[in-house]
This record gives sequence, structure tokens and C-alpha cells, in this order.
Amino acid sequence: MMKTKKYIFILIAFLFSAVSMFVSAQTSTTPLSTSGDTVQTTSITQAENAKSGTAFIEESLVNFVEGMGFANLNWQTIVMIFISCVLLYLAIVKQFEPLLLLPIAFGMLLTNLPLAGLYNPELFADGHVHWDMFANGAGLLDYLYLGVKLGIYPCLIFIGVGAMTDFGPMLANPKSLLLGAAAQFGIFATYLGAIALGFLPKEAASIGIIGGADGPTAIYLTTRLAPDLLGPIAVAAYSYMALVPVIQPPIMRALTTKKERAIKMKQLRIVSKKEKIIFPIFATAFVSLLLPPAAPLIGCLMVGNLMKESGVVERLSKTVQNELMNITTIFLGITVGATATADAFLNIKTLEILTIGIIAFSFGTSGGVLLAKFMNLFTKEKVNPLIGSAGVSAVPMAARVSQVVGQETDPGNFLLMHAMGPNVAGVIGSAVAAGLMLTMLS
Amino acid sequence: MNILVISTLGDMLLGSAIGISVVFIALACLVIIFEFIQRMSINASKKRMLKAGKKDHEVVHTSGDDVVAISVALHLFLNSVHDEESNILTIKHNDKRYSPWSSKIYGLNNFQR
Repeated sequence: MMKTKKYIFILIAFLFSAVSMFVSAQTSTTPLSTSGDTVQTTSITQAENAKSGTAFIEESLVNFVEGMGFANLNWQTIVMIFISCVLLYLAIVKQFEPLLLLPIAFGMLLTNLPLAGLYNPELFADGHVHWDMFANGAGLLDYLYLGVKLGIYPCLIFIGVGAMTDFGPMLANPKSLLLGAAAQFGIFATYLGAIALGFLPKEAASIGIIGGADGPTAIYLTTRLAPDLLGPIAVAAYSYMALVPVIQPPIMRALTTKKERAIKMKQLRIVSKKEKIIFPIFATAFVSLLLPPAAPLIGCLMVGNLMKESGVVERLSKTVQNELMNITTIFLGITVGATATADAFLNIKTLEILTIGIIAFSFGTSGGVLLAKFMNLFTKEKVNPLIGSAGVSAVPMAARVSQVVGQETDPGNFLLMHAMGPNVAGVIGSAVAAGLMLTMLS
Repeated sequence: MNILVISTLGDMLLGSAIGISVVFIALACLVIIFEFIQRMSINASKKRMLKAGKKDHEVVHTSGDDVVAISVALHLFLNSVHDEESNILTIKHNDKRYSPWSSKIYGLNNFQR
């Protein structure tokens, strides 16, 4: 067995050296220029011929070994590969937001494989796309990353989100929009916290948007304001969104009494089709006129919703909900994961972002619950404060959490549809907040 | 308009306060407008009911339990209607049914002698 292996190895080495000799002979005999270089070429050929076959084998093998990724591994890349494997484990085994976490983790794995050259951060250095450098050999993920860099993927995702969203519960109870706004408190509180920790205002705004619990919005804003932090921010946003059922309930219980949690809300009215059609058109025009930088996000969200509600473009609606959404999710996930290179990810900033991110979520949840309690001081029809927590987007997970926590107190209390109002309002709220940040900081 | 690009603690707080206020005002405007549209919609439906001969808009309040029971029943019914596909892709030989549309037995050339 050992002898066979030895012979196979010798055969491979021989073939490899033969190919190398052939290639080098071809290269050296090719005239480099018509005049002075010919003399140099001839001397190179003579020198090459003078080398023995063993020297070629050695050189080829050394080149081969040096060209291997294994030889270029360092502790940073090993740690990053390990982190990507942990994230893959969380996505596959624990099923934490697997639709996004799996491609993100795999993108992270790909980008940290030495010499693979799939993603080159220098092409996007200083917040600009260096188109001239693309001609010198950009990797596959560099081309795909253009969709993130140019703000295409988050908007396409928003079209799909819009087509899958029912604004009916929110229109049946328009006050729930205020709960969606209150949950954005987390974004601005975190912005302050990040500034206090020494982050630049643009970086602080990008970190704060994690509190909006809206992946596409976080990615859109971060690529515009602090592209260097995209990897850690995306990982933090999607990880915490998956952890909403763990993060939110203790805060909700701490801020409410048992009596408040048991409040039963009046059944929602049926919203007419006319209202559902007017809403996306009006909301787009209003928000875009108020905050023009929010137009791409709000516009895409609402066009998707209009496709669904109008009922006249069933095929388009189905396509954006399924095919377009899925394809964009794949590209977005892999490329966002690819930005998590060892240099960008393995630093103290990442730890700070992860810590501030969870605080952002907590503040957002608290903001929604507290505003619902405040509203109860003035309104005749009481609002269950638990639906306030759904104001952080994370659709529909946050609404489900409201339902589950509500049923712990009273199993006959069904809050899901009531919580969907603030939940979808949170998507609009975080897009408005992102537009505001862009207006003020870019 | 770099309100959020700040240097002092006071500016920082002011910038954030302005930020959250703008978000609130934007969504509060939408609340006011859609409350108004809601009222218009309810009034219009009341008028339609009156025209149809009914005295007033009869609002039926259903309890949460009933709504859930109806939803679950509908969900189960609609799921049972939908074709369940196996999701297993295999190359399966599919026998063609006999169809005489192109059969040579019935061709016109059979009568040529």
C-alpha cells in the first residue's frame, strides 16, 4: 500500500514537473519584444535549460505549496472560519433565522479562505467603488457585492417584504403607528450610547439602526454611512432578530403588571380594499416628500404591497414574494457575510457593536411597551402594553412574542392580530428613522 | 444640516430628540390622516347599509376564542384542499396513453393501392 502511494506520488511529481517545464519553455521562448528583449530571452532560455529536472520539481513543488491556502492560514483566518462554522451550526441545528444566517455564515467562510480571492475589500475602500481596479481581477463576490454597495438588494428585499405584508391590522387601528414610532426610541438611544463609546456619528447611526430590528434597513443605512462595519452590524442585527423570543419577554414582564397583561382588546374592524390601496400610495408620497432619502426603502416596500393589495398583478406579486425575494436573499446573505473579513471583524469594535446591539433591542422594546402604557392614561379603549413591544420590526416574530406572553397571563387572550399593527408600523418607522439619519449625516 | 454631527453632550441629546420627534411627527401625521379616512369609510358603509334598508350598521363582536376556532378550521380546510407534493425528484418512466390521433391504421394513405 505504501509502495503504491509512493509510485503515485512520483508519477504526479513527474507529470507536474513536465507540465511546468513545458509552460516555462513556452514562456521563455515567446519573444517579449522585437528589439533588446530578444537577447535577454535567449539568456533566460539557456539558464532554464541549464537547470536540472530535480530543480524544476523542487521549484514547482515549492510554488505549489506556497500557493496553497493551508500555507497561508494564520490565527485570524482560523478564528473567522471557526466563527462561520458556529454561525452555520446556529442556522442549521438551532434554526436561528436560517434563511439569512446560513448564506451569511457561508459568505464569511468563503471570504476568509486565504488566496481564494473571492472578495477584495480594497475595491470598496474609503466608501467608494474603485471601478478601475475591477479590471485587474475582481472576485465573484466583488461583483455580487455591488448589489449591496449600490443599495439594490435591500430595496429588492423590501419589495418582497411589502408584498408579504398585510397593513390591514394597522389600518384598522391607526394608533398602532405610534407604537411603531416609539419602538424606534432604541435607535436614537443607541446612537447616543455609541457616540459615548467613541464611535464616529456615522458609525453610531449605523449601530443604532440595529435597534430597528430590520435587516434590509440596517444593511442599507450601513452601506451608506459606515460600510466598514457592515459585517458585524448585519451579524448582530440578524442574530438578535432570531433571539427576539429570548430578549423581549423578560423586559415585557418587568415593565407591565399582571392586570395590564390581561387587558383584552376590542376586535379589529374589517379594512376595506380601497383603504388598503390608498395607504401604500399615500404613505410613499408623504414619507418621500418629508424625507427624500427614505424614498427607496419606503417606495419599494409600498410598491410590493400595492402589487398584493391591488389584486390585478397576481403574477408579479407571487414573483416578488418568492423568486425575487429568494434570489436576492441568497446574494445579500453571501455578500454581507463576505464583508466579515478577519481585519474587519476581529477587533474590539465588533464586541462593542454586539453589546450595544442588544441594548438597542432592549430600548426599542421598552419604548413600545411604555408608550402603550402612556396611551392607556388617556384613551377610553385600553391597549394591552404587550403589543407595544412588537413595534420593533422583526416581523412577525415580535408579534408572536406578544401573543405568547399575553397568553401566559390569560390563555383566552389573543393579541396576535393587534400586535401585527405595531409590528408592520415598526417597518415603516425604521425606514423613516434610516431616512432621517441619511438626511442628517450623509 | 448636520444636526447629528455633534461635539457636546447637549448637542448629542438635542440631535437625538429631534430625530425621534421627526419619526413621531411623520407617523402621527399618518395616524391623523388614516383616522380621518377610517371615519369616512365607516360613514360610507353606514350610508350604504341605510340605503339597503337596514336601520344601522350592525357590529357583531366575536370573541377571540371564536375567531381562533374559525381560523384554525379554515386553515385545516385549506390545507386539506391543497395538493401535497412529495418534493422528491426522480426520473420516472411515464407510460403514454394510447391515442389514435396519429395512428397509421386510420390514415388516408391506407386506401391507396
